[in-house]
Amino acid sequence: MEKRESLWEAYLRRGFSRRNFLKGCVALTSLMGLSADMFSKVVEAAETKPLPVVVWIHGHECTGCDESFIRSGAPLASDVVLTSIALEYDHLLSAACGEPFEAHLDEVIQKYNGQYILAVEGAVSTKDNGIYCMSGGHTFTHLLDKAAKGAAAIIAYGSCAAYGGIQAAKPNPTGSSGIKMFVGGKPVVNVPGCPPIPEVMTGVVMHVALFGTVPPLDGDGRPKQFYGNRIHDTCYRRPFFDAGMFAETFDDAGSKAGWCLYKLGCRGPETYNSCGNLRWWQGMSYPIQSGAPCIGCSNANFWDEAPFTDRLPKYDKVGDVDRIGTGLAAATAVGVAGHAVASIVQRNQRDNLLEDENEHGGEH
Amino acid sequence: MKSVKDVKRKEYYIFSPFLRIFHWIMVVSILVLFGTGLLITKPMLASSTEPTFTMMSMDLVRDIHFLVAFIFCASFILRIYGFIINKGDRLFPRFWEGHFYSETVEVALHYMLLKPHHAPFLRNPLARASYAGLYVMVAIEILTGFAMYFMTNPSAVGGFLFGWVNTILGSEMMTHYVHHYVAWLIIVFAIGHFYMVLRAEFMEGEGEVSSMFSGKKVLAHVPKDANELD
Repeated sequence: MEKRESLWEAYLRRGFSRRNFLKGCVALTSLMGLSADMFSKVVEAAETKPLPVVVWIHGHECTGCDESFIRSGAPLASDVVLTSIALEYDHLLSAACGEPFEAHLDEVIQKYNGQYILAVEGAVSTKDNGIYCMSGGHTFTHLLDKAAKGAAAIIAYGSCAAYGGIQAAKPNPTGSSGIKMFVGGKPVVNVPGCPPIPEVMTGVVMHVALFGTVPPLDGDGRPKQFYGNRIHDTCYRRPFFDAGMFAETFDDAGSKAGWCLYKLGCRGPETYNSCGNLRWWQGMSYPIQSGAPCIGCSNANFWDEAPFTDRLPKYDKVGDVDRIGTGLAAATAVGVAGHAVASIVQRNQRDNLLEDENEHGGEH
Repeated sequence: MKSVKDVKRKEYYIFSPFLRIFHWIMVVSILVLFGTGLLITKPMLASSTEPTFTMMSMDLVRDIHFLVAFIFCASFILRIYGFIINKGDRLFPRFWEGHFYSETVEVALHYMLLKPHHAPFLRNPLARASYAGLYVMVAIEILTGFAMYFMTNPSAVGGFLFGWVNTILGSEMMTHYVHHYVAWLIIVFAIGHFYMVLRAEFMEGEGEVSSMFSGKKVLAHVPKDANELD
């Protein structure tokens, strides 16, 4: 552990050729969303930069992000974990456990103070001093506090770490929220998604690892190269949207013909992610392609925006806002008509009174 | 029966042409924006099974919505210019003056049919407050509208200027909801406004409708707030 090797050195040690190394760098460049002219910089970084130490901790979550991560195809998750980063601590992917494992974490935090990358999955449970999420006998808030202090940069993987996730849905019994407020102002890269796309997860950690800086972020702290576009604007069904051709139900002819799922509540027009261009499982498919409307899983608060299969929320038997609005407008119209009649009656009474007063004014 | 000409009347010049043109642009804009907005939320059934031959494309409806929205926003230049050059374009709700509240109560009691009449105004305090409310609703529509429109490219200037709206509301879907809900409130306002204006015109002799065409009210009585034009 004394001298950390670079990616190139790791390749040499394993007996890979220079050609293999360069091919790996080409793959890295493209998966980080960089243009081809950044290739020489990637090679340079891979030759000289020591492999970054990564501490990967898990909070209030389902570990579904890891399920996604291990399915990364380019690069393979195993390549990332075994040759591209020095993964020193991970609740889920580690063989070790118990006291020695926790002691190792403390050691790593001390030894690489200010240098390691902290990857966080899962929300912070804040209610009742955070007792709803414990590991190693401590609350997750304690662990996050400890690990965030010495981190060079923090990657928030998944909608839980970024925004609180499904457990933050109303009424949010565990007081869950994203990690941003609990890391003491350290730079945070939000990689939302439930789960995020595998190649996006590996791409972001490789960017931080190779360049030592966080990738260009948007206003919400998300890497622009992966979250810069709406799914709607990259969707292969967009022409059907523009032409006004929509599936009305899940089993009609439009649905079978692959028309736009907008009327079935698709959140593509509100969702920023790479599903439309990267797609999932090495470009095989993504929810909309398989006929399911996007539920906007990489959006803050998507869990409270039910129903996922409609464009507007419904209020039991009353219906949605269009029905309420029509009723309200009709009631207003009837109301003003009634008011008009009452006003005329009132004016006539007033005029009669005035006339009476004028006629009999002198006699009072 | 007395003829209209027998009554001695005074002319009050209130609204500049800029405000009047703005007003009528707003009327048309709100109607078009509301109609196209409903169609965007719930598009009509497809009229063809070939994209090339669809009659009413979503693209067209959206383009109309966006175009009219830009025209409406641009028309605020007229409103602001009139506001600068003409006192009659500045009939605010005078929240900072004590009599505003007592007069509001008086007008409200009359509208609730509990009082036979209220003191005459060029623009009564309740109407003033409701117009202030309309501007707030229009501002919400503009902010949420651009927050959705410009986010096709969040890194550009438009995304920078309006993207924060989505952050404040929690998510972009919420921005859609707010935009849609407030649109309905504006329509409810419009129905009430339409009625109250006709009522003032025909029952109280206020010259309300004609003033939005000619800019003038020709009144037999002396309105309580006439001094605001001096």
